[in-house]
Amino acid sequence: MKRTLLAALLAVSCSSGAQYAQAVVALVDVSGTYADQKPQVVEVIRRGLLPRMAPGDSLIVIRIDSESYKRDNVEASVKLDVRPSKANAEKLAFAQRLEEFAHRPGKASHTDIRGAMMLGAEYLRETGAGKRTMVVFSDMAEDLPRGVKRDLAPDELKGVRVVAMNVKRLAADNADPTVYRQRLSGWEKQVTAHGARDFKVVLEPDKLTELLDEG
Amino acid sequence: MERLLIWPANPAASILALWLLSQVFLYFARVPMHKGLDEVGRLLGGALRICARWCRGMATRVTQRDREMILEMGKGDLEAKVGREFHRIEGAFAKELARYPDLHRKIDDAVTKIDADFQECASAAPAAPGWSDAVAAVAKMPPNGDGVVKKVLEEIHKSAQAGEKKALADFRETTAKRHKILGAMAPAWKELQKLASEVAKAVTGALESTKRIDGYMASYEKIRKGDEKEVRALGWSSTQLFVVSVLVLAVAIGGAFVNFNLIALPMSELVPSGSRIGGMPVSTVAALVVVLMEVAAGVFAMEMLGITSFFPKLELLPSSRRRMILAVALGGLFMLACIEASLAILREQIVDSSNALKASLAGMSAPVANTATSHIPVIGQAVLGFILPWILAMVAVPLETMISTGGHIVLSVVAGLLHLGGFLSRLGGHAMRYTLAAARHVYDIYIVIPLQIEKMTGNGKSAPSGTVALRPEARR
Repeated sequence: MKRTLLAALLAVSCSSGAQYAQAVVALVDVSGTYADQKPQVVEVIRRGLLPRMAPGDSLIVIRIDSESYKRDNVEASVKLDVRPSKANAEKLAFAQRLEEFAHRPGKASHTDIRGAMMLGAEYLRETGAGKRTMVVFSDMAEDLPRGVKRDLAPDELKGVRVVAMNVKRLAADNADPTVYRQRLSGWEKQVTAHGARDFKVVLEPDKLTELLDEG
Repeated sequence: MERLLIWPANPAASILALWLLSQVFLYFARVPMHKGLDEVGRLLGGALRICARWCRGMATRVTQRDREMILEMGKGDLEAKVGREFHRIEGAFAKELARYPDLHRKIDDAVTKIDADFQECASAAPAAPGWSDAVAAVAKMPPNGDGVVKKVLEEIHKSAQAGEKKALADFRETTAKRHKILGAMAPAWKELQKLASEVAKAVTGALESTKRIDGYMASYEKIRKGDEKEVRALGWSSTQLFVVSVLVLAVAIGGAFVNFNLIALPMSELVPSGSRIGGMPVSTVAALVVVLMEVAAGVFAMEMLGITSFFPKLELLPSSRRRMILAVALGGLFMLACIEASLAILREQIVDSSNALKASLAGMSAPVANTATSHIPVIGQAVLGFILPWILAMVAVPLETMISTGGHIVLSVVAGLLHLGGFLSRLGGHAMRYTLAAARHVYDIYIVIPLQIEKMTGNGKSAPSGTVALRPEARR
């Protein structure tokens, strides 16, 4: 009895740091009209997201293209070392990989946002982090190729905060902003229906860092 | 409200009917109501009186306990002071007595030397007995014309003059020798004077200690007798010490906070911060433990130096072991201070590295830090990291003072609260009694019409319950 009590006490008092860590997945759209935004998006990740990551945190960048549910779509991924000096070195290496991604030419013909979301959700689950955020850099207009089917599981995004960042307005949106708002509203319903903690649309990079600090 | 009306269509008639019914009901219920109010008043007043009495009793006991504690504390303090004085006297006496044979020998030597010099000074070559008088008598004889006699007399006169001159020269020489001997005696006198002043100093020190002991003993006697003035003085002194120790501890806690922040970041380089204890990263816990270890080492060092007395068992240890523990505590503190200084330097490097990283990620080519002045914060932090553990080690002294005087403060506060509770209970008891008496009167005022009718029909006889006293217990 005493041993059980002691074990329970230890289990409560000593715990892995993963539940206090933060994991962020950035989904970067490289298709259609959003492809030209890639350098700006990388800049936001490099200046806004990367410096905010603390030792032990994870950051994954996934490309949104015609078929995004592939391991190849993971452009860069890092779980920062618990030692600050090593974590800094890893951040520098990660920034270098982002730079290469920014300068790589290429444009996808279709936009598979949900495929990237599913892939990102899997990575987030794997990190076991307590705070999980998915930042989507896209115009949020999905255009799946023929034959591609994407059905999110009911708890696909369980506990994940989804942030739509720098959502580009399309020509149709300018003509009728309601279309844009309905599109975002539709995404909100969809992600929250699949377990997401909340869905936020962010325009300024500063706001994104604030959201990350809030957890 | 409308539901209470008998005839909702006619509220005035309903209210009148209700009033009449209440008058009748309350008139007939007057005696039991008065009794009920009396009993409630007696119950609440009694309960509050008991509460007040309990508070008063407890406050007296707590005050007595506080007084005993203060007296014991004062006794202990004075005993320690007297013990210390005796220890000083013992030390002084042991030192002086150990020196006494040497001192005695020195004085003896000096006196012997002075005596010998004095003897030497007194000795002089004696003149030939009667010879100079005879020569002087012959020289003073009148000349009688005989040439031979005259010549003889002249020769004797010359001889007498020469003898006088020689005697004077001898006298001067002897006097000079005596002066020289007397001059040589001066250092011996000075030595004697020095020795005498040393003895006087030692005696004065012993006398001062004795005076202090007399003072302590007078205070001790007063405390033993339980002199009120002395108890108050001790209580005030304890309060003063408590306030001062709390202030010093607050400052020390501030220092500990600075110290903790100084080493928390670099500690993550040494200790893996992946795991957590109670929600805190292990590195943070480690930094906290280092700070607490410094305090603990300081407590042991102060204990071994005899400044504090947290652990009575340690006081019983032989001095060699005490010295060993002191060396371990001071060595540990030194090591921790060195570790902290190095961590402070590491911290600066991590901060510089983070700044450089941020600058690099932001696309800046050169780091913001000015290399010309970048050594100043590093040295400052290293010095701070080295000094803070030693300052934290001093916390033991105010901590002990706070603990020893805290009892008096707690008991004083408790006694004060109990007195306040007793006062409020007494006040509540009185308030209850008069409130319920007032309620009885209000009750009678409400049914004054039936009461007046009763009075008129009963030829001025009032109801038995009308004689209810203001203080129900007075009727007992």
